[in-house]
Amino acid sequence: MTNATDTGLGGLPPVEPFRPSLRERMSGWAFYIPIVFMVLFFALPMALTVVFSVFERTMFWMEPGFTLQAYENFFFSARLENFLASMGYSLISVAVSFCIGFPIAVFVRKSVPQAAQHRVVLLFILPFMVSEIIRIFALRPVLQRNGLVNETLTSLGLIDEPITALIYTHTGVIIGEVLSFMPFIVFAGFLAMEAVPKFIFEVCDDLGAGPVRRFTDVILPLAAPGIFAGAVFIFVNGIGVALIPNILGGPGAVNAGLIATQAISALDFPLAMAVSAIMMATLMGLLYVGHRLFDLTKILAPMN
Amino acid sequence: MDDYANIWLHRTKWAYLLLVVATLMSPVFYVMYISFNENGFGAAQYVFTTRWYGLIFADAQLMNALRWTLMLAAMTTVLTIPMALMAAKFYKATRAKVPVVFLMLAPLFVAPDILSAALLVFFKNVNFTFQWLGALAGVSFMDGWFRLSFSTALIGLVIYTIPYAFVVILITMGRYNKEQTEAARACGASGWRAFWDIEFPQIRAGVFSASAFTVILCFNEYTRTSLLKGGFDTFTTVLVSQMLNSGMSEQSYAMSSFVSFVAIALIGGIIVVTLMRSEVAARKAQPVAEPNTAPA
Amino acid sequence: MNANTPAVQVRQLCKNYGSVQALKGVDLSIAAGEYFVLLGPSGGGKTTLLRTIGGFHKPSSGQVWLNGQEVSHLPPDKRPTSMVFQAYALFPHMTVLGNVGYGLSLAKLPKAEVRDKSVAMLEMVGLSGYENRRPHELSGGQQQRVQLARALVLGRNILLLDEPLAALDAQLRKDMCLELKHLQEKVGITFIHVTHNQEEAMTVADRIALIADGELVEQGAARDIYRTPERRFTASFVGENNLLSGTVAAVEGDTVTVQVCGQALAVDRRDLPVRSGETVALSIRSELVEMVPAEGAAPADGRSLAGTYTESVYLGLTLSHRVALADGTEMVARIVGESDTPEPPAGAAVRVQWKPGALRLHVN
Repeated sequence: MTNATDTGLGGLPPVEPFRPSLRERMSGWAFYIPIVFMVLFFALPMALTVVFSVFERTMFWMEPGFTLQAYENFFFSARLENFLASMGYSLISVAVSFCIGFPIAVFVRKSVPQAAQHRVVLLFILPFMVSEIIRIFALRPVLQRNGLVNETLTSLGLIDEPITALIYTHTGVIIGEVLSFMPFIVFAGFLAMEAVPKFIFEVCDDLGAGPVRRFTDVILPLAAPGIFAGAVFIFVNGIGVALIPNILGGPGAVNAGLIATQAISALDFPLAMAVSAIMMATLMGLLYVGHRLFDLTKILAPMN
Repeated sequence: MDDYANIWLHRTKWAYLLLVVATLMSPVFYVMYISFNENGFGAAQYVFTTRWYGLIFADAQLMNALRWTLMLAAMTTVLTIPMALMAAKFYKATRAKVPVVFLMLAPLFVAPDILSAALLVFFKNVNFTFQWLGALAGVSFMDGWFRLSFSTALIGLVIYTIPYAFVVILITMGRYNKEQTEAARACGASGWRAFWDIEFPQIRAGVFSASAFTVILCFNEYTRTSLLKGGFDTFTTVLVSQMLNSGMSEQSYAMSSFVSFVAIALIGGIIVVTLMRSEVAARKAQPVAEPNTAPA
Repeated sequence: MNANTPAVQVRQLCKNYGSVQALKGVDLSIAAGEYFVLLGPSGGGKTTLLRTIGGFHKPSSGQVWLNGQEVSHLPPDKRPTSMVFQAYALFPHMTVLGNVGYGLSLAKLPKAEVRDKSVAMLEMVGLSGYENRRPHELSGGQQQRVQLARALVLGRNILLLDEPLAALDAQLRKDMCLELKHLQEKVGITFIHVTHNQEEAMTVADRIALIADGELVEQGAARDIYRTPERRFTASFVGENNLLSGTVAAVEGDTVTVQVCGQALAVDRRDLPVRSGETVALSIRSELVEMVPAEGAAPADGRSLAGTYTESVYLGLTLSHRVALADGTEMVARIVGESDTPEPPAGAAVRVQWKPGALRLHVN
């Protein structure tokens, strides 16, 4: 697409002015449509959350002004505690997902024939074909007092009393988050392992590096940017998806997404905007730290 | 795996992988299982029935919601796929790759509730601004612009689906050699013809997968649609409000299963078709791929 | 179009990629019907030049004239050029016939005519009977023939070839070189061929231009480029030249005396602007150098250098003796065919000598 290149890049101004036809110029500009769309309907609304968060709250809406009321509401109440707690549980979900999912990514890259690798990874897309909310709701009959897990364990004689801590608790939230987001660490790990050439495994065997040294000295540093991206994804969704604590959590299981949703139901729009702004700041901060540590642009290598 | 590896260790790893997939899918299968039980969840006796599915199709409100869902999914696909294609082409051509890819992938990293809250307030404000401008100018045709409706839900879904479509298309394009486009240009094709005749047939599989993915994502979406839609309901919003209000009923098990069946059938169909096509292509290629026998 | 109008004229062509200058003001003129080769090291700008002529890059400044018309603003499909790419540029989802006929069907020719012309062109490149194959069912050489047919069938009068043989193995490349040359003679249009391989260039070219570092270093007939390089770079890139550097001791009429390793060498001035005390480069092709044992005093004709023998490299067709000069510079004396004289022991004192006119002077 020479048009896009030429309109997109400066370079030195030509001595002879080019006169591309109107149609050519139009088709060059067409490539900016997605960019403009995303700026207008994604970047701009996200940036404006900061502005709207300091507006004055009115009965049903808000009006321009400057007040930190919404932030006070957030930081000097149980919301902050809940938010921080949800971050902790989200971190646990990230760790559990990593431990379950990343070995799978390594295994697929290392031991599955090249041609079949993509198909195996495709297996992990299957759960995404079913609505997230349905999958989360479906956990209720599975984890309930008389649900699938407890029924199975009881009939096997492993437990006498049903385990009630599986749902309507923080454990329930973590189970929900792991089951919802674990595949992402498989995808991210799979892409990240592209940075680890297959012969590395042979070199390690040759040098006598054991599996542990191989993992900490070679795989982890090379795959770090991809793993980080996957971890950030799970983390921000863990604190941002309201449905999981709403459906599976007990008292106190309130994350940022739920605070925002509740604020909107209560018509407290500035509070919802403040939560969004805080979430955005958290994400930006994480990405900045990650970029400084690992150079996240490396993740894009497989796409070029 | 290499020749010296322990075969049983290898098999154990495979078993683990499949077990994880099964665990991820188990709630869905369990719900499907319950949905065919006459007595519903938790009953001591299992009696097979399709009665609950019959109830869904007899429910006028649900069927209406299904129509809205399909319309929304179709429109989203029509908008998302060309935009993702253009963005992928733009990404390939530009040297400012990081801002482009950041903009296209960032929606993945913003949780649905946060993004839809931001969009909701944004649309309301834009709508009020248009109403105010209209009042100043004494015209009323702008009053409905960006009022929560089909189109605002549509924008929300496009933002949601575009990163997925972008990644799928970009990965497919990675296998395309752009010298072919240049060869077509050298043959006298315009930029558009070169794309349509040469590049598109080769990335078609990726575009179709991205479309299927987009449809499924829209079909399943709840949070964004429910906040940004105006007065209509989609299949999922009806289902979720039922479940939130009155818990899981027999009918909601059937509805969940129905949505899952549609999605699995769609994706399964695509996988089977692509596998079959690649097998056929491989078989056709074999007999003629003999060594060089060119008459010089 | 006048018969004397050059097929290609490039004027002060510059191309920048950000801060990198890929072309730095190239001027070039290629006659109609010529087989012209752009030769040079990778990354030197030769492909950029070819692609700018073809319209795949827009020049940052300067002009491209094709058949006497300024075309700098035209996209590739509006130019009188067609192109053969390095590799993998066949359309994999079309048959061989579909590939060849693609350009003609774009031009809305009747189907039967597209077919007849394509079949005829396939016959011309020696691929009759392959019409219904797919590109992946062809060998590398066959794929490049299909590319040739696809480009030639359009009937344009300038064909651009971007390293067309680079992906082929050595023997096939040699055969294809000759075929290309014969094909060009048959169709009579202008061929512009980019390569980094000098043997390939010498085989096909009427004229060669050396491109390095974004500049046109030297151009001329293939034979002249090889035998009488003007510039030091040409000598270093074409043929197997020994390069020496020294200081001008004296300039007398047509003869320049240059001090190399404390020994005086005489070299033809060739009207070059050269002054005493200047540092200059000298070149001599290795096959013109003869190694002899250092017996007695060296003749004072300025056509020999003393050194020590280091080793020999036997390549079958040629045998190269390597000689180290006092300052460590290595010189190669190459003999074609077998030599009966036994090689001296390593470290033996030897002399390298040559005939008058073999040594060439280069100034910056």
